[in-house]
Amino acid sequence: MDLVQLQRQFGFLDEQFTQLQELQDENNPDFVVEVVSLFFEDSERLLNELARALEQQNIDYKRIDAHVHQLKGSSSSIGAQRVQKVCVAFRNYCEEQNVEGCLKCLQQVRHEYSLVKTKLESLFQLEQQILTAGGSIPME
Amino acid sequence: MNSSNGNGSMSTASSSGAWDGRDQFPAGLRVLVVDDDPTCLMIFEKMLKTCLYQVTKCNKAETALSVLREHKNGFDIVISDVHMPDMDGFELLKHIDSEMDLPVILISADATKQIVMKGVTYGACDYLIKPVRIETLKNIWQHVVRKKARNTLLEIKY
Repeated sequence: MDLVQLQRQFGFLDEQFTQLQELQDENNPDFVVEVVSLFFEDSERLLNELARALEQQNIDYKRIDAHVHQLKGSSSSIGAQRVQKVCVAFRNYCEEQNVEGCLKCLQQVRHEYSLVKTKLESLFQLEQQILTAGGSIPME
Repeated sequence: MNSSNGNGSMSTASSSGAWDGRDQFPAGLRVLVVDDDPTCLMIFEKMLKTCLYQVTKCNKAETALSVLREHKNGFDIVISDVHMPDMDGFELLKHIDSEMDLPVILISADATKQIVMKGVTYGACDYLIKPVRIETLKNIWQHVVRKKARNTLLEIKY
């Protein structure tokens, strides 16, 4: 059973995630976990900034757009496809300066983010269990 | 040998001789990669190292510029994100163009025709859209060789 294949089927992780797995080697055995942890840290920061920015009296749409743009870039780089898709819609609402749309997207992106986070965490947990039990993780 | 920590400082720069004359070409290509997004920066660094390039990373355009100024002839190519808070990729590109003769590749999550056009007209030798695949990075040495060949041709002409 290939968990990653399963996740890809549901659209949570795309081919880019496989690229990351392929970069992992004996010199960097924890590369994927490290990158993904960095992504979690940075995304949470961005999501908080976005919430704060949307609470302001005078909303700074340029700033919001910059944050969403960054989230789009990082989520696409690790293969979090669904997060990336919401970011596209989010940026459109920013351009229209549509606060309702933005708030809706923020909610959606938070939701997609927590979904992919849960998936990745269970993936890592399972891999760890397999390794601890003396097995190996099938690639591809 | 040449890796840096996140805020753009670096240990030593290799400024010895022409990279493309060496045996393991294109291995050893000296790349400076600039991106304020830590996730992307980490991935680029790993990908470029996997290509056997010598990588220096920066998370600020200003830092990248001082690194380039301090180590003239220490790099073969620059890869920079477009949207950065202090100085954007276009401005960095303009500085590099006027001060040094280095090929610059721009990268962005933005794929609109207008912005790609802007990149090309500003003089970027390529414009890549995130997510970037390692196969694309494997070919960047061509930009270095192409630029050198063009410069040589210009020298001969004039």
